[in-house]
Amino acid sequence: MKVAYYKGCLASLSAKELDISTQALAPLLDIELEELESVTCCGAGDIHEAEPDYYLHLNARILAYAEATGADTLMTICNVCTLNLRQANWQLKGDESLRERVNRNLSAVGVPPYSGSVEVRHLLWLIAEGDGYELLKEVAHKGLKGLKVAPFYGCQILRPSKIMGFEDPDRPWSLEAIIEACGGEAIDYPAKIKCCGFPIIQAREETALQELIQPIEQAIDAGADAMVTPCPLCHLSLDAWQSKLRATTGRDFSMPILHLSQLIGVAAGFEESELKFKRHVVSVQPVLEKLQA
Amino acid sequence: MTLLDVLDLIKDRVDGTLSYRKSCRMMICGSCGMRMDGAAVLACKTRMQPIVSAGHVPTISAMGNMPILKDLVVDMSPFWSKIRAMKPWLQPGYDEVREKERIVSQQQMNVINKEALCIMCGCCVSECNSMEADPEFLGPAALAKGFRFVGDARDAAAVERLEDYNSEHGIWDCTRCYFCNERCPKGVDPRDAIAKLGAESIKEGIDHDMGAKHANWFVTSAKTTGWLRETELVPKTQGIIEAIKQTGFALALAKHGKVPPPVPPHVAKDVTQSRALYDLVKGQGVDGALGIVQGEHALSRIEFEQESKERERVLELEEVAE
Repeated sequence: MKVAYYKGCLASLSAKELDISTQALAPLLDIELEELESVTCCGAGDIHEAEPDYYLHLNARILAYAEATGADTLMTICNVCTLNLRQANWQLKGDESLRERVNRNLSAVGVPPYSGSVEVRHLLWLIAEGDGYELLKEVAHKGLKGLKVAPFYGCQILRPSKIMGFEDPDRPWSLEAIIEACGGEAIDYPAKIKCCGFPIIQAREETALQELIQPIEQAIDAGADAMVTPCPLCHLSLDAWQSKLRATTGRDFSMPILHLSQLIGVAAGFEESELKFKRHVVSVQPVLEKLQA
Repeated sequence: MTLLDVLDLIKDRVDGTLSYRKSCRMMICGSCGMRMDGAAVLACKTRMQPIVSAGHVPTISAMGNMPILKDLVVDMSPFWSKIRAMKPWLQPGYDEVREKERIVSQQQMNVINKEALCIMCGCCVSECNSMEADPEFLGPAALAKGFRFVGDARDAAAVERLEDYNSEHGIWDCTRCYFCNERCPKGVDPRDAIAKLGAESIKEGIDHDMGAKHANWFVTSAKTTGWLRETELVPKTQGIIEAIKQTGFALALAKHGKVPPPVPPHVAKDVTQSRALYDLVKGQGVDGALGIVQGEHALSRIEFEQESKERERVLELEEVAE
């Protein structure tokens, strides 16, 4: 299946390991990536809040270039990109006069018009459902040897469910299904659907860290060896800001955090050049040692 | 049969001491907010047949983020004090009543249509992640009430209100977890109301909060390089002095490539288009909250379609059960 691939800001910058592991994984799952080049940031919710009309146009532009590839799916690898693009897509698809105005503006700056034919779907959904899931069982041939993995969904792949619409936002199942298919054990804990604090980690660090601590603490207490997330912002928060929790709690969590594509990559026997674990702040070595034992 | 009917039966036949709030039984008084399986619902809106059909026994408990008084009854006084802090009354900007009637157009009222639907049940507050972390956060219900007045064409105190709501525990304390939109039984979508307040604040030049600076930096990034200028985000949000204090933390991250060098900038192809687009749309008058309001018509349509489908499903199950 050919998809238009929108990797977003973080996978191009501080979370390059997410892009690298996704590019390595996609062909194994029969996903042909056509990377979008003439695109910008989706606004991450920030442009939606600062300049909402500009947010709509920026996202319409991304959707227009996705449509121009001929693919009917725009694949994302970030929760926040998924919400921003899906929200704009619903608005443009469901309101002809709004779409006409936006298209006039796009044409004026040389962007092809958007007719509304694209569906925005996260990599997680492509793998958890249909052909991807069937292939996954073959791809993950090395398995995870019962590794205890805590799924962390984050917010903007579940809520608002009227915009996301893939699974029950209170009882999601997709990450668990993938962990199990890879031979791991999915750990259950209440905070797996809560916020990592990342959107306000710079403006309200204290509040954000109070949010961040919940999933990490609960995952540890439930016996998790590692956590996995479909969102690079959650990853940055859980991985890079984890050290700040030491100062507030005195506890050293040392909880390895994996991107979804890396978790499957480990089960598929990927090399470090495709996983790039050296780019993580919290070492993933204990997980790798456990799998080698 | 609804959850409220079930509670009435239990109180009548099983345990007369069971305590819960109720009044209208028709989703308008906002009294019967409570949790079912951890998710805040209005008991009178929650049909039980799908749950019975699935063979599930739900757990009913009191709403979160408010102290429990007894059983399913919570102390809503912190909730009301935050609502009061929003000055939830019109401030028309004149003392004497004008002779001529003030006509407000439908278009003007549409701006606050969703926020005016709030019945102050507290369901949005129950699972608010920011309020759990910071109990002083004004929260989704109060801030949605705030926009109901900021966006009202008859109110003359919008700028003062925005200054007030830009406090330490105000607009920019929201972590965008979207639990409030998910839980609201009336389609208010409080998170969107908070975004509208942010947009109005920035439109009015009230951008001193770090949250507003953070948001503005994304706009600057999109129109200069196209992609987020990630490394500059910290000094642009927190200021140079705070950024310098974070040097140790930044160096630890830099070792792992988490601090991408700002030079040379990571520039998107055809970025001149996104720059031109900014200048173009800025002149079209869809400023501030209007940029969000314009998309609501389409979003309410999908909500209506989804709710209609769900209603049909429940009715079918109820018919089968009868």
